[in-house]
Amino acid sequence: MKKIINRPEDFVNEMLEGLYAAHSGSVKQVGEDRRCLVSAHKQEGKVGIATGGGSGHLPLFLGYVGKGMLDGCSIGDVFQSPSAEQMLAVTRAIDSGAGVLYIYGNYNGDIFNFDMAAEMADFEEGIRVESVVAGEDVASGVPVKAGEKSTRRGVAGIFFVYKCAGAAAAAGLSLDEVKRVALKACDNVRTMGVALTPCIVPRVGRPGFEIGEDEMEIGMGIHGETGIRRGKLLPADEIVDEMLSPILADLPYSAGDEVAVLINGLGATPLEEQYIIYRRVAQVLEQKGIPVYHTYVGEYATSMEMAGASISLLRLDEELRQYIGAPADTPFFKQFAL
Amino acid sequence: MNSANDFKLLMSHWADIMEANRDYLTRLDSVVGDGDLGLTMSDGFRAASNAIARQDQEDIGRLAYLAGKAMSTAVPSTMGTLMASGLMAAGKAVVGRKALNLEGVAMFFQGFYQGVMQRGKARPGEKTFLDGMAPAVESLLEDCKTGASLKDAALGAAHRAHEGFLATQGMTAKHGRAAGRGEGSRDILDPGAAVADFLMKGFAEFMMESGANKV
Repeated sequence: MKKIINRPEDFVNEMLEGLYAAHSGSVKQVGEDRRCLVSAHKQEGKVGIATGGGSGHLPLFLGYVGKGMLDGCSIGDVFQSPSAEQMLAVTRAIDSGAGVLYIYGNYNGDIFNFDMAAEMADFEEGIRVESVVAGEDVASGVPVKAGEKSTRRGVAGIFFVYKCAGAAAAAGLSLDEVKRVALKACDNVRTMGVALTPCIVPRVGRPGFEIGEDEMEIGMGIHGETGIRRGKLLPADEIVDEMLSPILADLPYSAGDEVAVLINGLGATPLEEQYIIYRRVAQVLEQKGIPVYHTYVGEYATSMEMAGASISLLRLDEELRQYIGAPADTPFFKQFAL
Repeated sequence: MNSANDFKLLMSHWADIMEANRDYLTRLDSVVGDGDLGLTMSDGFRAASNAIARQDQEDIGRLAYLAGKAMSTAVPSTMGTLMASGLMAAGKAVVGRKALNLEGVAMFFQGFYQGVMQRGKARPGEKTFLDGMAPAVESLLEDCKTGASLKDAALGAAHRAHEGFLATQGMTAKHGRAAGRGEGSRDILDPGAAVADFLMKGFAEFMMESGANKV
């Protein structure tokens, strides 16, 4: 293991100490627990939006707490859910009477704890909580009917859900309306990823899986969950084509649909390679007659030092376009009005 | 189970059992999961036991609820949260009781079972904790009707939980990482059901050894 750390067991807490020191004007901790993070700019009367999840994915999850996006985040150990008590502490801190929306990824640990936190918020605090679970990775299961439990993992595309719901809440919409917008974003976003190298959980000290020097795995999850196909590393255009066609076919995205695109680096893949990926994505979308409203390229949801990338598309209508275009100001994501 | 103190002793015994079987649970879990189950269960039950050890509380239901909350804070993993939900629901099921007769014990474990089921949204037959727990709860409820002694009922429930655990070999997993293996998950014993087996075994041992079986 080769990491710039002090002690493996201090990884999360020392990361957070640095983060609070660097962004003291925009975020703060709740009480004594630095793993409960909220925006320093609480807006009375606004629907609060909370997220949470394991560490090891920065900018996910806490990096999107700020103006125009989220209000609070609870932080777990690397790849581990935070506790329901921590989620409850964040909920209490961000509620200003309009209720709280939880937005998080489709992982059992997170679901169980957020469900428990929602029950405690209702029972112990009288705070109304609604939940939206993002699961847009087309490599991790088939689409299900409404009401059925999806196996699809939530990955980088959750950024679009945060962006749309955050802008809707900032615009003063009610809890039910913000939830509707978040669900609409979930319904219209799809992602697929590729991994080239594994990452190392500091307290484990060795890679979570092995992969050959000349191999890649299409569809692998951000904790190393098994993907669709492992094989020899291919040229960038062929990798993109293999990821993009199941994405496009899934919704499906059709000629005339306007989209926002997110090219996300997993941690060890340079921006240069991410732009080589986007080059091909733009070519294919143009061929298909799918116009691009806005493109984001960079690290949005990582897996520490994992090499690889993901592609996410969000289909836009008038409403989602307006929310994607709204301004935002968080420690890890800033945007002027588009 | 004649007092809140008996319940504290039971929690402590469960923590001992999970600690003693930490490596076994980790081995089972490494086949399908991320291999942290042994740690989660030993840390979680120890935290739950420690949290109530000095509580001045006679209500067994409230103690169990507190123990569950402590576990959920200490080990917020998938299985940690499920067991915490089970303890909290078990506590709600017997809230107000200062002692548990066979009927109370059956309500406690039925509450535990339902709490886990509601949190995890799984059903029996899907290769989970529930497959160890369901036959044990059924056995306790049957014994309530026939008027068995608490000691015999505890032994019977432990026996049925163990059979339920063994029967997970041959089931196809529908939840968690094991589900990713589909048919390939059939040969594996479910680590969650092993935890149910240990809970019921621990309860039976406690009833045999503690002298708390005078009901």
